[in-house]
Amino acid sequence: MEELKLEIKELVKIFNSKKVLDIPSYRFEGKKVYSLYGPNGAGKTTLLNILAFLIEPTSGGVLFTGAEFRNSVEDKRNLIKEITLVQQNPYLFNTTVEKNISYGLRIRGMAKEGMRKRVGEALSMVGLAGFEKRKAKELSGGEVQRVAIARGLALKPKVLLLDEPTANIDEASKGILEKVIAEVNKKYETTVIFSTHNLSLAYRVSHEVIPLFEGRIVASPVENIMQGKIIKFNEVSVFDTGRVKLDVVAESPEATRISINPEEILVSREKISSSARNSFKGRVIQISEEDRFVNLVVDIGEKLKVKLTKKSFNEMALTVGSEIYLTFKSSTIQIF
Amino acid sequence: MNYIQEGFITAIKLIISFDRDVYEVVFLSLKVSIIATILSSLVGIPLGFLIATKEFKGKKITITVFNTLMALPTVVVGLFVYSLISRKGPLGVLGLLFTPKAIIIGEFILATPIIIALSISAIQGMDPRVRTTAMTLGANTLQVALVIVSEARFAIFAALIAGYGRVIAELGSALMLGGNIKGYTRTMATAIGLETSKGEFGFALALGFILLIVAFSINISLQYIQQKRK
Repeated sequence: MEELKLEIKELVKIFNSKKVLDIPSYRFEGKKVYSLYGPNGAGKTTLLNILAFLIEPTSGGVLFTGAEFRNSVEDKRNLIKEITLVQQNPYLFNTTVEKNISYGLRIRGMAKEGMRKRVGEALSMVGLAGFEKRKAKELSGGEVQRVAIARGLALKPKVLLLDEPTANIDEASKGILEKVIAEVNKKYETTVIFSTHNLSLAYRVSHEVIPLFEGRIVASPVENIMQGKIIKFNEVSVFDTGRVKLDVVAESPEATRISINPEEILVSREKISSSARNSFKGRVIQISEEDRFVNLVVDIGEKLKVKLTKKSFNEMALTVGSEIYLTFKSSTIQIF
Repeated sequence: MNYIQEGFITAIKLIISFDRDVYEVVFLSLKVSIIATILSSLVGIPLGFLIATKEFKGKKITITVFNTLMALPTVVVGLFVYSLISRKGPLGVLGLLFTPKAIIIGEFILATPIIIALSISAIQGMDPRVRTTAMTLGANTLQVALVIVSEARFAIFAALIAGYGRVIAELGSALMLGGNIKGYTRTMATAIGLETSKGEFGFALALGFILLIVAFSINISLQYIQQKRK
């Protein structure tokens, strides 16, 4: 299959005079899986909607390259048929599952027999074989999401865009969708670009993780975001969130937001003496496992996410309620 | 009291015996109102769709106008169309007055605003994701429009039934424009009026029963559709 590459150039989208997307350049190679990772308001949905031609960028745009595609207006219609978006909280037409999935094929003029085959194949991929005659309105949340993805898969698009495919669905459906993303990429060589809040899923499933924050691609995933202001601007400045004061290295006194990478926070039972300028006593309020790691949520006045290996976690014998110290360098704090 | 009893008996006899005069009137009524409703829907649904989906200056006023026109008095419509198609009127040469076509024109004017106004509200009530979903699956502008109408089908069908309900029992304009000519332009409503005044109570009652059945069927269909929408 001919590869379709998407290249973002000086892409800017402004909503209500606020810049919600600003990506100077990015290139999506064909046949890969990409994930857009970031908090709400990072611009993930806006970017996917632009890639799917649902909204126009304010300036700049996306170049589509591939042997049979040029960037002419008449090619746009063909491109739309090669790029399919499954929206977050997808809508199923008020009819059967089969008619939902075959809709895109029907408007492409496919013969009935071919459609039936594609529908069956797509339903098997999402683990819903035999659901053809079910009414869309009678499906559960997870099934709706899977049928919506099957509706996209049936078209065998060159690029499949998925907006938060695993949000608000049951664990079983999540597992199936993870497999589907990998399978569609391998089997049909489809480029998959999906957005997610789940960093572990992003790394597990995709070839490349694109961390987005406030409409821009950032160097590393932004977590532990805190609002506040610089109350002392100096060589080492002080950022006050209203609940805690942190030493930061700021280039401008205008910063209103900071973030701390959970992997760069040191956890200890006792207060440790080091060159790191930030050390806080806190209480573990939540523990969750993620592959070989354990995520803690620690309340230090602000709630911080901290990531440590299972081995360290077990050695420290931490439980919910444990009192611990969090230590991190001022230079690890990102400032926005 | 006796004449009511006799009237009932005559009416039932007329209905059971498939009396030609009765059923001629029934079929003409059904025919003109069905044609008028079809014509109204051909104009009303696309127009309702455009008004609902396009942004333009005066959109709110346009919607208000159609909502208001739903309450058009039938006699005024009769008067208006009469002035146009009477022999002295601008369309007099077409010779439409006192023909079934004239009744259809009057009923078309009555049903169209209902179908437009209810189609607007049906389309506006649609989930905005219908449009974007069709677009993401590669639909062009016309295909997107067809999907929206198809998803709003129950509400739009309800609009058609409401339009039909408005014209099937309509008296004012049918009398003025059709002239109540026996075997030609006599509808159920006009016949009931005339036969009652002539003292043919049984005949009028027979038509009254049938009209009631038609009207109730329309209401039952509407309720059935409303339930299906849920």
